[in-house]
Amino acid sequence: MISIVNYGMGNIKSIQNAIRYLGIVSRVIDSAEEILNSNKLILPGVGSFARAMENMRKMNILDALNGAVLKSGVPILGICLGMQLFAEIGDEDGPSEGLGWIAGRVRKFNTTSGLKVPHIGFNATFFSSNNRILFDGLDEHADFYFVHSYVLSCEHETDVSSWTEYGEKFASSVRRNNIFGTQFHPEKSQRNGLVVLKNFVSSRI
Amino acid sequence: MAKHRLIFTLLVDKGTYVLSRNFRLQRVGDLKWIKEYYDFNAIAFSIDELIVLNVERGDKDIKSFGKNLELLTANCFMPVAAGGGIKSVEAAFKLFDAGADKIVINTSLVKDLELVRRLVKIFGGQSIIGSIDYKLCDDRQKVFIENGSIDTGWSVEGAVRNAADLGVGEIYLTSMDRDGTGQGYDLETLKRISAISSLPMIASGGVGRFDQLAEGIKYSKVQGVSTANLFNFIADGLTEARSYMRENGIDLAEWKASIQKDDTGAACHNASA
Repeated sequence: MISIVNYGMGNIKSIQNAIRYLGIVSRVIDSAEEILNSNKLILPGVGSFARAMENMRKMNILDALNGAVLKSGVPILGICLGMQLFAEIGDEDGPSEGLGWIAGRVRKFNTTSGLKVPHIGFNATFFSSNNRILFDGLDEHADFYFVHSYVLSCEHETDVSSWTEYGEKFASSVRRNNIFGTQFHPEKSQRNGLVVLKNFVSSRI
Repeated sequence: MAKHRLIFTLLVDKGTYVLSRNFRLQRVGDLKWIKEYYDFNAIAFSIDELIVLNVERGDKDIKSFGKNLELLTANCFMPVAAGGGIKSVEAAFKLFDAGADKIVINTSLVKDLELVRRLVKIFGGQSIIGSIDYKLCDDRQKVFIENGSIDTGWSVEGAVRNAADLGVGEIYLTSMDRDGTGQGYDLETLKRISAISSLPMIASGGVGRFDQLAEGIKYSKVQGVSTANLFNFIADGLTEARSYMRENGIDLAEWKASIQKDDTGAACHNASA
């Protein structure tokens, strides 16, 4: 069963709608027990990094997430803030500790280029030579929809599965073993996004 | 760089989708009509963004508008903005809960500045669109509110500056004189305002042909072009408009033309559901 983790950060309805559109059943969960009983997890999220971690701490789901993802190898897809939480540290609202699954830091966009932040709208992604599972069936430079002011700066380039250019080159998606993340919103990226979701939910990862 | 945007605007009056001409409304069909006969779900795959406006006159029923929005956009996989008659933070929450990614504010930009400031603070400027309607009165452009019924006496420049100061993320600028006429956008005004506005601008009012959409971006330098006419780009119209715009050098996002059973499993089967 695909489980969407609801930890009180933003709207999850459109992700549910997208998965339903793909003909796949999902459920929305918010407890440690449900996390441990899931075959695949989706971690959505819009809002502040610090508050998201605080919410998960209060809900007592951090141990379950670590257990499911790191010990049992349950595939997880983090979307937008959900992906950023995989980092070790997030700068938003003061430095705070993240899940620490991907070595790196979530920092504000480099604005020296004069481009406006948040980065908002459709933009092209350049796939890395490895780690293409999420993009299977899509053309190079596929466009996805972004809304964000912070980027996940990865310590290891091998964790980055696609790059996007906006004043600087940033990680628009990451992958490390069973851990997947997209900075863009697949549920708002028309058919390209549906393909990404389909690749995550229905492939044997 | 973020891409340019082709935007479709739907106008809803008490559950009925309407055509607007110079802000006079003509009823067309209900939600069932728009989904089953108009084939909105297919059309939605040709646009970068959807804007749904509650144009009900007088006090608006936000709750039933929200319900309609939720049903309309269940199979929409692009950013959705909604607005019309948002007079409180609660009303804004209702629309976000119904699936909106952004809200559209018009009258409150003039009548309730404090509300706009609060909305910006709670939801972030990037999720607030400032909508400005204007028309020519005695050779002067004036900004109107309350569905174009009240003259504020403000200039377009003043209204745009005010919206930017309040912290909204983008501007949706509608020429009431061009609205529904098919004569094309008011390109000169759009160009003049887009040159002084630091915010992304969406052109609205008057578009009837592909080349007019392209002109809005090329000549007036706006980031998004919108049409609210249900019939000018019917059936494959918006798909063709996209192709035309791309062929004319406009940088629009591209996505897979169709979903095959091979690449998205059951999606094919559900596409018309």
